[in-house]
Amino acid sequence: MAVDPPDERRSFLKLVTAGLGALTAGLAVIPGLGFLAAPGLGFLAAPPRGRAGAPGGSPLRVAGERDVKPNRPLHVTAVGPHDDAWLRLDKITLGSCWLVRAAEDGPIRAFSTVCPHLGCGVDYDEMTGRFNCPCHTSAFDLDGRCLSGPSPRGLDELETHVEGRDVLVRYQRFRVGTAKREPIG
Amino acid sequence: MSAERAAEKKATTTRDGTLRGWLADRIGLEELERTIRAGQVPGGASFWHTLGSVAAGLFVLEAITGIFLATAYTPSVTGAWASVAYIQDQMTLGWFVRGVHSFGSSALIVVSGLHLLQVMLFGAYRRPRELNWMVGLALFAMVAVFALSGYLLPWDQKGYWAKLVEATIAGSAPLVGATAQRLIQGGASFGTMTLTRAYALHAMALPAVLTALVVFHVYLFRRHGYTPKWSLSTEAAAARAVPAWPDQAFRNAVVGVLAWGVVGVAVIARHGAPLESPADPTSSYLARPEWYALPLFQLRMFFEGPLEIIATMVIPGIVTALAFALPFLDGGATNHPRDRRRVLTAGALGLLALTVLAVTALAKDARDPAYAKARAEEKARTETARRLALAGVPADGNVLRNDPMYHAREIWDERCAGCHGLAGAGGEKGPDLKGYNSRAWIRGFLANPEGALYMGPAKIEKGMRPVEATPEETDALVEYLYAETGAPDADTGKAGRGRDLLSPKDCDTCHDFDGEGENDGPNLKGRGTPKWVAGVIADAGHPLLFTDRNKMPKFRGKLTAQEIDEMTRFVIDLKAK
Repeated sequence: MAVDPPDERRSFLKLVTAGLGALTAGLAVIPGLGFLAAPGLGFLAAPPRGRAGAPGGSPLRVAGERDVKPNRPLHVTAVGPHDDAWLRLDKITLGSCWLVRAAEDGPIRAFSTVCPHLGCGVDYDEMTGRFNCPCHTSAFDLDGRCLSGPSPRGLDELETHVEGRDVLVRYQRFRVGTAKREPIG
Repeated sequence: MSAERAAEKKATTTRDGTLRGWLADRIGLEELERTIRAGQVPGGASFWHTLGSVAAGLFVLEAITGIFLATAYTPSVTGAWASVAYIQDQMTLGWFVRGVHSFGSSALIVVSGLHLLQVMLFGAYRRPRELNWMVGLALFAMVAVFALSGYLLPWDQKGYWAKLVEATIAGSAPLVGATAQRLIQGGASFGTMTLTRAYALHAMALPAVLTALVVFHVYLFRRHGYTPKWSLSTEAAAARAVPAWPDQAFRNAVVGVLAWGVVGVAVIARHGAPLESPADPTSSYLARPEWYALPLFQLRMFFEGPLEIIATMVIPGIVTALAFALPFLDGGATNHPRDRRRVLTAGALGLLALTVLAVTALAKDARDPAYAKARAEEKARTETARRLALAGVPADGNVLRNDPMYHAREIWDERCAGCHGLAGAGGEKGPDLKGYNSRAWIRGFLANPEGALYMGPAKIEKGMRPVEATPEETDALVEYLYAETGAPDADTGKAGRGRDLLSPKDCDTCHDFDGEGENDGPNLKGRGTPKWVAGVIADAGHPLLFTDRNKMPKFRGKLTAQEIDEMTRFVIDLKAK
């Protein structure tokens, strides 16, 4: 059957029309995808603003040195400045940690409360003397070692030191779910 | 197996084993295709018929960009401007996405308006399409409400004040006004609920209702079809009919791409939509509505006081009612313009009136120096706010807090204003620092050091005596002191002559000039430089400064080094004020 000339023309028109439609849709969607990627994908992201005292930056006072008793883990919060998208916050709770000290006047260690398994907050159980994750029952000893449960690594230790009468902690977050510890943010 | 069961089985199994066949069975692909293919354009495809589709396309563009924007926008008094500034200035292509959304809305209004005019010209509102004309008018009104509600969302000066005026106009309506205003505002006055309501309306309610209306509009259009040009008889139009797909669709796509191109070029040329400084309810902002509302704005100018309602409600109300009633008022025998002179004349006059009103409003502002000044001031405020927002916006939404001078002003109010003046009215216990160390300030000081604007309020025993000199000598002394402040525009020759006068005028009895000698009065070397000012703030009683006659408290230890730096800059900046 011979192709009718108008039919041939119409097939071409259909193709061009579909192309123009796709072009306009693409022009609307593609810049939007760049926009969506902005905060997440490094190669498209705006340059970081950078600011003194950003999380993981300067050490924050979390407790008095004498408040930390031997073998009595102390739950403390890290409050400090934080940049979050357009927000510039001077004082916000960045997270919390457990302060642990083995002996009177002994060194103080700080463990993030973020469970390395899936990010729930670990609690201290006085009966067993262990840190327990309420979500998936990982258990950790006072040195942060994982004793049981699905956690791929021990509790994340935070850099800490005593300055005068204050305990200072450099608060940081780490990627969860991995055996290796990787800082994020 | 019964025959019934067999028939049922046949209907639910794949006809030819392909995915297409499977889908065709389930969603009725063939009927859909038939419906699409059945669309005919009597009288042939035409660019006249493209406008409705292009408007629909622009609406889709608004929806897409709107969803993207919603992923980064926050509707709150403290966060709205900050998030929009972040989109505009920091997110990848944020300015572009926002620009397309904003300019696209203008394009949508233009194209919808043109579509309306085309329908009017072709008589396409006439029987049996009366209802679709009314649905179209409702759509047009909703597009306007869309634009007006979106306008507020950035919570910048422009949006805030325009919306405030609109809410007040709504409040002036008889009987329901107060309630309407409360509903718009989400309370007795403008606040966070104003924003959340506008946002819910703009991003949820309107899209849903508009989409439903568009579907109905298109359904009615498909039912009644295209209205061919008036010059064609029904038979002639039918003879020339072509399939809408692809003949008309192609033209729609061409004009659609063109409209998109215009929007895109405008966005790039102007680097996106404007974003003014954050809404400041305490400012006296010169509010102007967006272009599409200018005719109404100008109309209001002709009606003062209690008559205002004529411009804001009565005239727009009558015009709207007439527009909706148009299909029933027409009365023309055919679609030919000749038979519809009254309608078309009224339409043309209406369009002319809108244009004249808008142009009048624009021309008046263009001639008005007060308008230009207000715009320039807003531009400066905008630049400051946008620059400061690059460092992030504090949680209270006050971006000016990022400015060290804002902090300095707070310190000034708390620590300095008790003794010093800043308004040129004199201080309580110290000099007024308005224009401090400008030539005028120095001249006034030399003429009357113990005057109310200078050291008078400090009540220093055996203070400085007025300088007695000829006008030329005074000029030279002023220039000498002005040059010591490090002013780049000082006349060094004249300043040198002033320096030579220090001994003849007995200044050296109390002052040294070398930066080392201690005396009753301050050593004048580098007096007024940032280092010197910082020294005065830190400890004005220093032997090189005001020595034991000093009455100003020491601020070293009370202010941090950084705060002293900020205060120094604050004081230095006073020279130019």
